[in-house]
Amino acid sequence: MSHLEDDLRAALRRQEPPADFAERVLARLNQAPEPSWRERLSVLMHPPRVQWVAVAVMVSILLPTAAVQYRKDMEKGERAKQQLLFAMHVAGNRLHQAQKKVLESSRL
Amino acid sequence: MVYSLAWHFLHDRSLAEELAQEVFLELHRHLKDIQSPEHLVFWLRKVASRRCIDQTRRRAFWPKFGLEEVPEPVAKNRPADPLLSRTLSRLVASLPEKARVVVILRYQEDLDPSDIAQVLDMPVATVKSQLQRALEMLRGKLSRTMGEIAL
Repeated sequence: MSHLEDDLRAALRRQEPPADFAERVLARLNQAPEPSWRERLSVLMHPPRVQWVAVAVMVSILLPTAAVQYRKDMEKGERAKQQLLFAMHVAGNRLHQAQKKVLESSRL
Repeated sequence: MVYSLAWHFLHDRSLAEELAQEVFLELHRHLKDIQSPEHLVFWLRKVASRRCIDQTRRRAFWPKFGLEEVPEPVAKNRPADPLLSRTLSRLVASLPEKARVVVILRYQEDLDPSDIAQVLDMPVATVKSQLQRALEMLRGKLSRTMGEIAL
């Protein structure tokens, strides 16, 4: 091995970094990285709050619709009930008249 | 290791520190890719070497001193002479970038030419020729410096 190589080893011995080097690296690591334009766009398109807003809008649309539908069903049921009662009433009257006629004809 | 490699390459403390910090930040981003302590050392050497060369190319950086500015050694070749070491260190920093990084990996990190070839992604023969040429250049520059002193 030549003297030059020995001298190079001595000349190129490792240099220690400044004492606060590790702290500076950690400080840079802890800095929030600047978001890229893609990340910003992604946040704009899918922010967490928008999901809750969407849920609220859906509920506000669906609830009245369901209430209206329920009311319509109730009214329809009520109408059917009234019609049934009317039909029974009519049928009852006719039956009564028929019985009356039968009784009258039997007396004669 | 990383700071020292950058320092010997750039011969500028603030640039070396900046570069070393960036290497460690990059390590933090690629921590999941590191498979073993040996791989970590290999990775750090590779990334630090690549960044040193990139830094030189990007900023068209060249040592701010010429050979004439190298401090003159007061004594002839003497092992571990601090002034000789400083002179040699600066002469290394004045080498072309590829030769410079090869010399630093060889004599700071004590790597064999085959290891240097892996770190720098270059053929072993190229590493050997770079090393040979760098030693010849350093020998020539050193002898010129010493010759001037002798006169």
